[in-house]
Amino acid sequence: MENIKEILPFLIPLIIAEFVLLFVTITHILTHQHYKHGNRILWLFIAILGMQFIGPILYFLFGKEDA
Amino acid sequence: MDRKGVAIMHKEEKKMENILTLSHISKTFGNHQVLSDLNFSVPEHTIFGFIGQNGAGKTTTMKMILGLLKPDEGEIFVCKEKVEYGQNRTNKYIGYLPDVPEFYGFMTSKEYLTLCGQITGMAKEQYKERILELLELVGLTDNKKQIQGFSRGMKQRLGIAQALLNRPKLLICDEPTSALDPLGRKEILDILSSIKKETTVIFSTHILSDVERICDKIACLHDGKIALQNTMQEMHFLYKDTEIEIEFDQLEDMELFQKSYPNGIQTGRLQLHYKKYTKEDMKAMLLFLGKNNITIQKIERLEPTLEELFMEVVKK
Amino acid sequence: MRGLLGFIKKEYMEIFRTGKLLFMVILFSLFGIMSPAIAKLTPWLMNIMSESLKETGIIITEVKVDAITSWTQFYKNIPIVFLVFFFLFSNILTMEYQKGTLISILTKGLERWKIILAKLILLCSLWTGLYWLCYGITYVYNAYFWDNGIISSVFFPAFCIYLFGIYLLSLLLLFSVIFSSNTMVIIGVFGSCFGIYLLMLLNRMIESLSFLEKYLPIYLFYASNLISNITEKKEYIYAIFATLVMIIFHSILTIFFFNKKVVN
Repeated sequence: MENIKEILPFLIPLIIAEFVLLFVTITHILTHQHYKHGNRILWLFIAILGMQFIGPILYFLFGKEDA
Repeated sequence: MDRKGVAIMHKEEKKMENILTLSHISKTFGNHQVLSDLNFSVPEHTIFGFIGQNGAGKTTTMKMILGLLKPDEGEIFVCKEKVEYGQNRTNKYIGYLPDVPEFYGFMTSKEYLTLCGQITGMAKEQYKERILELLELVGLTDNKKQIQGFSRGMKQRLGIAQALLNRPKLLICDEPTSALDPLGRKEILDILSSIKKETTVIFSTHILSDVERICDKIACLHDGKIALQNTMQEMHFLYKDTEIEIEFDQLEDMELFQKSYPNGIQTGRLQLHYKKYTKEDMKAMLLFLGKNNITIQKIERLEPTLEELFMEVVKK
Repeated sequence: MRGLLGFIKKEYMEIFRTGKLLFMVILFSLFGIMSPAIAKLTPWLMNIMSESLKETGIIITEVKVDAITSWTQFYKNIPIVFLVFFFLFSNILTMEYQKGTLISILTKGLERWKIILAKLILLCSLWTGLYWLCYGITYVYNAYFWDNGIISSVFFPAFCIYLFGIYLLSLLLLFSVIFSSNTMVIIGVFGSCFGIYLLMLLNRMIESLSFLEKYLPIYLFYASNLISNITEKKEYIYAIFATLVMIIFHSILTIFFFNKKVVN
């Protein structure tokens, strides 16, 4: 699998970015009590299971309350 | 020296001037006429209570003074300048406290006041100092929290600080106490009466005891018009019919008294209540008691509460 | 002037403290990486697919991957990130109406046009920064793996799409002062996009009108065709100017309507 070496330049930043995004989302969910829709458990599920960045996007669009 | 003297004299002359004048204001929302030919003015350095039922048009009137709503007819003058809808020129004289003040939740109270200071175009040193002063006044000095964590009362107090920031000549408060608990209400009323020296306050409410507590002058809005407008003293003078309550020691005394004053309503075992009796009547009653050697527990003259006056006006 | 700066500062403080900025930066970076990543993975995916496709009789010849593949992917991704950006900021004014936060600001004497200008500056600067960040990441990857040089113009089509984004943002603000609800704003912007699209189809059908097509802002959207050298640069010049004029026109109209708007 000589391919893996070639895609490493993508893989590393992608993984880092996705984890940062997931981390930011989860901290945001945990530090807020109220959401536009849904509840904490639901959003944690969506953020973690929501395939890489889809979950966080959904949270920021439909879950995060506006300050 | 001379010039200063003149300036002081000028200031004193001004004292009686009206800071706000509304003339012939009408406003209709759809088919519903909220205000029809409303006229009143507010002199400087008064606390002006603006009372009326919910939906009487208090908030509408205030928003028109602020240029947020356009009157269908009539003119409004603030400090002799005409209010233009949509523009904010006259708002430099005005501080406004909305009924439920809303702020940017992600800011701290100090940051929010700084933003307000920048908007009103105050000099940096000026607003910095003023903000510290005001935070002290409303008791938020040590609060470093973001506004989204504030309680209703804290928001209301920040609202007052915000409204007073540019030392307005006119402070407009829309139901500042309605949403608060008794303690919060007392705090707000105390702050309002403490700033009376600096500014004129217009204060709308439907809680009449608040008005009795701090207002110098009141106007009652009903059916789109000022149904009643007076100073508080005049108010009591005007409605000089008072009620008298007497509590006797002995039943025989009461019966004797009742023969001469038959209009009384018995409100207790030894207690009589007289409606619509003047001070003169009371003197006569006391003479009667003395002549007949009657001792009493107490005699009390009850002044009509604002509420009763208000009800009377509304019924008309 | 200080009032305007103060309000702009408030706007930035908001996106910074609510985490919107961080979220958007990560998202745009992700999509910047993804375009070349997908291009890079295409032959590998094809290999896997061809195994199973062989049985059905379809034979895939070896796919050639280069910078064009990656840039094509970039232009497929941009509408998605734009949509996220758009939805996230679609309530930039309606939120303030709903909460009543503008009342204190207006009664403190901030001129209304300054509010619109501050919002416009925020949206445009943010879109500019994020878009070119995404572009920059894709560009660097493409230069590293392949050769951007095989495309006659890399920057120009990117600029056209970027400008189309600004155009949509100016529409967003315009509908935000016409309507007061977030949903209506979204419907308004999508509706007018659809309107322009219909207009374009109409132009294509009726020959006497066909010259108009080049002036429609939506024409810029097809600038991604430049990547594969299907069209020429100069074809888009009219649309660029027309779009710039429209953006300015929308902004003036926005301020005009906002001055008349009842905010309470």
